Amino acid sequence: MPAFQPTADQFRAFRDDPYDGPIAQVNLLKFKVKAAYQPDEPEHGTEETGEAAYQRYADAFGVAAAETGGTCLLMGTAERYFIGQGDWDAVMVMHFPNRKAFIATLNHDSYQDMHRHRDAGLLAQELITTRPSIPE
Amino acid sequence: MTTIQPTPEQAQAFMGRANDTPVAMVNLLKFKETATYEAGTPEAAENMSGWEAYQRYGAAVSSLLNDIGAKTLYAGPTNGMMIGEGDWDMVAIVEYKNRASMMAMGTSEAYQAIHYHREAGLAHQLLIDTTSLPLPDVGNL
Repeated sequence: MPAFQPTADQFRAFRDDPYDGPIAQVNLLKFKVKAAYQPDEPEHGTEETGEAAYQRYADAFGVAAAETGGTCLLMGTAERYFIGQGDWDAVMVMHFPNRKAFIATLNHDSYQDMHRHRDAGLLAQELITTRPSIPE
Repeated sequence: MTTIQPTPEQAQAFMGRANDTPVAMVNLLKFKETATYEAGTPEAAENMSGWEAYQRYGAAVSSLLNDIGAKTLYAGPTNGMMIGEGDWDMVAIVEYKNRASMMAMGTSEAYQAIHYHREAGLAHQLLIDTTSLPLPDVGNL
């Protein structure tokens, strides 16, 4: 089942997790072939790819995340699968000092505006929350 | 799904790609509940988990990575799935100077000598060959 957002249970589990140390959010991303902006958006009707639309979101998210101490460790385009079968287009890994910093980024003033680029570009994703052991 | 190795086609396709640029290999790892060392080996008597066996592989491979100038960009155990229903225990990302250096390491005697820990611990994995895009410019942090 392709997912796009956390379920209510997933969000609560994330928010209420007592672990308060650093996390890295590993995003496995599948883009729309063509960006799907709404008719009232300026980008509507352009021949942009979903990946280009998502990149706008990723850039803006990186700026907002930086205010909370978040950094991007990897934004990689999937060239091919060396082991196993999968269908993700890209992998993005964001590091945060703690889970509050991630939630603060979602609540950033700029989030509502950047989010429309995610909606336009992203088809589905998984988001794996991990605890960094390297780098320390 | 029980994949822990590339198919011959995957290995060939990997080497067929441009080979002079860095590559970030993204490992999504799922471990066995109990490590499966061969009966009679010293490790078999230790009753390790798959996680513990793979950590031995990780410790041993990190010095081989060091030797070829590869760098572990990131490694960390899963804390939870926030979106989607994947079932991974750990994510590890290694940046190699180029694909040839990775293949040379993977076929070296030193690597073959430590590989049994990986086989004992790993249930299956995805290994995604990625090319890094420039990171978002957020200034110096």
